[in-house]
Amino acid sequence: MNNLKILLHITKKRSVFVVATLFFLSIVLSSLSVLSSSSFFAPVVSAQAVKEAPAAGVELPQFDPAQAPAAAQGTESSAGTTTAAVEEEEVGPVQYRTFFGLDSRVVVWIVSELHLMFAAFVLGVPIFAVIVEIVGYKGGDIKFDKMAKEFTKLLSAAFATTASLGGLLGFCLYGLYPEFMGHMTNVFAPTMYVYALMFFGEAFSLYGYYYSWDILKGTPAKKWSHITLGVMLNLFGTGLMFITNSWATYMMSPAGIVPATGKVVSLYAAVYNLLWMPVNLHRLIANVCFGGFIVGAYAAVKFLGSKTAEERAHYDWMGYVGNFIGIGALIPLPFAGYWLGREVYSASPVMGNIMMGGAFSWTFIIQAILIGMLFIGANYYLWLGMGRIKGSERYTGYIKFLVLIIFMCFAVWLTPHNLPLSGEERAMIGEQYHPFSKYFGVMAAKNAVVNLIILATFFSFLIYRRCNKGETVPFSEQGKSGKIGVMSAVIFCLLMLVSYAVSLSFVELEADMKVFVKPLIRCLYIQSGMICFAAFLTFKSKGKLAQSLLFAVTALMAVLYFWYYGFQVMQKANVVLRYLSVTQVAMVMSCLIMNAFIDIFTFRKAKLIGGIVWGKMPVRSQYALIMLCVVIVILMGLMGFIRSGLRMDWHIYGVLQDTSPWAYTPTLAYMGRIVGLIVALFLGLVAFVFWLAGLGDKKSKAHEGGYDDAISGGDH
Amino acid sequence: MSKKRSNFLMIWVILAVICLFSFLKYVSPEVFQVLMAKDHPMPTPSTLMMWYIIMGVLAGLVYATTSDKKLVDFLSFLLPDRGPALKFVLQKLLLIAFPLVVGWFVYSWSIPGVASPVELRIQHPTLPQEYEKQNNPYREKDPETQRRCIEEGKILFQTYCRPCHGSKADGNGPFANSFRLRPINFQDPGTIGTVVENYAFWRIKEGAPGLPSESTPWDSAMPSWKDDLKDDEVWKIIMGEYDTAGVVPRQREKAE
Repeated sequence: MNNLKILLHITKKRSVFVVATLFFLSIVLSSLSVLSSSSFFAPVVSAQAVKEAPAAGVELPQFDPAQAPAAAQGTESSAGTTTAAVEEEEVGPVQYRTFFGLDSRVVVWIVSELHLMFAAFVLGVPIFAVIVEIVGYKGGDIKFDKMAKEFTKLLSAAFATTASLGGLLGFCLYGLYPEFMGHMTNVFAPTMYVYALMFFGEAFSLYGYYYSWDILKGTPAKKWSHITLGVMLNLFGTGLMFITNSWATYMMSPAGIVPATGKVVSLYAAVYNLLWMPVNLHRLIANVCFGGFIVGAYAAVKFLGSKTAEERAHYDWMGYVGNFIGIGALIPLPFAGYWLGREVYSASPVMGNIMMGGAFSWTFIIQAILIGMLFIGANYYLWLGMGRIKGSERYTGYIKFLVLIIFMCFAVWLTPHNLPLSGEERAMIGEQYHPFSKYFGVMAAKNAVVNLIILATFFSFLIYRRCNKGETVPFSEQGKSGKIGVMSAVIFCLLMLVSYAVSLSFVELEADMKVFVKPLIRCLYIQSGMICFAAFLTFKSKGKLAQSLLFAVTALMAVLYFWYYGFQVMQKANVVLRYLSVTQVAMVMSCLIMNAFIDIFTFRKAKLIGGIVWGKMPVRSQYALIMLCVVIVILMGLMGFIRSGLRMDWHIYGVLQDTSPWAYTPTLAYMGRIVGLIVALFLGLVAFVFWLAGLGDKKSKAHEGGYDDAISGGDH
Repeated sequence: MSKKRSNFLMIWVILAVICLFSFLKYVSPEVFQVLMAKDHPMPTPSTLMMWYIIMGVLAGLVYATTSDKKLVDFLSFLLPDRGPALKFVLQKLLLIAFPLVVGWFVYSWSIPGVASPVELRIQHPTLPQEYEKQNNPYREKDPETQRRCIEEGKILFQTYCRPCHGSKADGNGPFANSFRLRPINFQDPGTIGTVVENYAFWRIKEGAPGLPSESTPWDSAMPSWKDDLKDDEVWKIIMGEYDTAGVVPRQREKAE
């Protein structure tokens, strides 16, 4: 075999080639990070500034002497002589160390972000692996079970990497930031033991779940035992995340200690600090979204490398499920993010101000671009997916309007309130704000368009669902389940809308402010009425009309009217703005839930026009899936930077100051380089880990192939 | 008919982008002049223009690739066939116009010229910690005292702030036109209505000299009042200023 043939042989093995390239890329990028102190990744800080940075910094909080480390107490007795002073300097507590001369913060930043990304995957994927397994078991479709097992195989491979990175992070933190970690251990020591024990629980349930897959099947009892293992895995995983979230959020909104002394007053308060629950919710949803898009990209890569129609069909379907889960979690994510943002303001107006109007405001423009790309990419994939469904041509006409709506909303979504202007432009405009930035750049507009994007995305999904459905049957033929389903949705939506409307009636506000709440209450009642009317129309077999009306009324009130009314409220009663946002969320959510149920029961038993031809997807759709994965990884890196960076020069906000030379907020360019490096490293590592996970399959396939060949050879 | 139209998909996309450009460049400045009752057009800022055009091009490309049929229709416009004469003319026009447009962009970007730099500016620089815990002492007083403080604040506002910010706090004071950066219109709900009172307190006390570097180079002419006004006078001015402008300060979020 000459060299050319060898090269061709290697390039034919595309997956090996891709993994090797990504691995090489990650090594190169890692080397670059090693060189960070001198070149590309070096922050723009002069040597003089570093020298002038306070070596010891401000006085740290005085801890309770009873809790002071023995080494620190020992040094007190030796003070008084020169020798003792030298000894004190040598054995005194160390505040900071460096990582072989590198910037400690960057080291911790990269390791913690990589750990978080793997952890998000390891926590997000089991949630839908178990759901897919249940769906497969109840529906009797083996392909669901096969896919759930394939997810879990990836999970077990990623789990060890997550644990290794977690260990490395722990060593880095204790080694590089000993004093800070001393404080954290002082406060959270009991939870750390719980964390370690739960980690055992997660490891056992994960490996038990994966390795017992084939053993625990055959009878319902066995299968349910297996599903229980999966549920246990999720419970342990979620518990682990909640514990680590309490450490991270305590750093932003410390509670349960005496700030001046650092003495622990209440561990419960330290754990259940102000930002704990919002971050828990936000991360839980985001992890599912993250896992969905990673699985989508995995399926896309596999699809692109597929050699048979059967493989293509399987990975096309897997990509669709990954994207579906990704979008499903993406839709409520802005609401959870809004709650988190509001609580950041509650924790500290300064931190809130830094976030949305201050040093981090431009990172939110980048965030807006990335979120817009996620919605566009997910919709684009759905639109392309309509091509594999017979009968979809009845609905493709809507796509141009959806493109228009989504891109217009995207344009408003990323318009900053404060535009970059040259002096000449400023002079020509004649005032600080151009009308575009004045009306599109504020929260009222952003809330309106993000809700419209969500409604449009949901509409895309609905038309995708009904592409191959023809004539529907009368609602009376849906049986009891139809009535129960629709009525359950009505009751749930009414509870949500009416209870919030009633709570708004009793909100404690001054009389001149309270008048601004009344329109919100009216809108909530109108929406409730619409929900009932939509149910009535559905019962009369006019489900499509009910859906259209519900969409129209929700868009009119929650988007158009509240866009206008949001400005009024901002101007005259901005304290009401928070109620307006929640009202918007409640109305949009009720519309989505009700429409989903109407759709399910209107199109159930509908005549099928044609089936879905899995595998008949253009290649660009798979690149859209890969793009979604890359975008969400970048987004996670960016948001991690924002959440952590909001503390500015504090390890623990307002309690323990960061006095190291790296206690400054990086520039956007520097942040971009580091986040880019993290993204490349993560994707390289994921590709490598997935490749490792697939080695066993290749070997067994090759073995089966060889065996088959041997048998067929024997036949001849 | 529909087939004929789809053969020109590329042209429709190009036309849509041209329409968007024309709207932003020529129509919207005039529309905003009328709607905002200004005596001059309101040109679309170049950064925004670029973003919106990119959005337009992306939207066109996304739409043109949402199905294989559309993609073929989109690209086939460039291929020679026995189409109508209009297609032949448009093809040639595109062949000439595309390099010309690219050339124009390259030329206009590379030609030497004098322009002040476009800088990212941070709208609300970070409120220093020492101001975070400050509270307006008069907001906790009885309504009668508050009303009196507002009236006193209005007088102080007219004395010290009116020359620039105007008697109605609309940014149209007698000196307003002499500044390159006009004083802020406080009636605009996107200005003082979006910040807590202690933020305004910090800005009045420290003025432009107290702005961090990331909020330059807008060169605000706001003076620092900390040496001329007492704290209680500043709080009263803030109360009077909000009342004059007809907006209310942002309320602190309450922990839930």
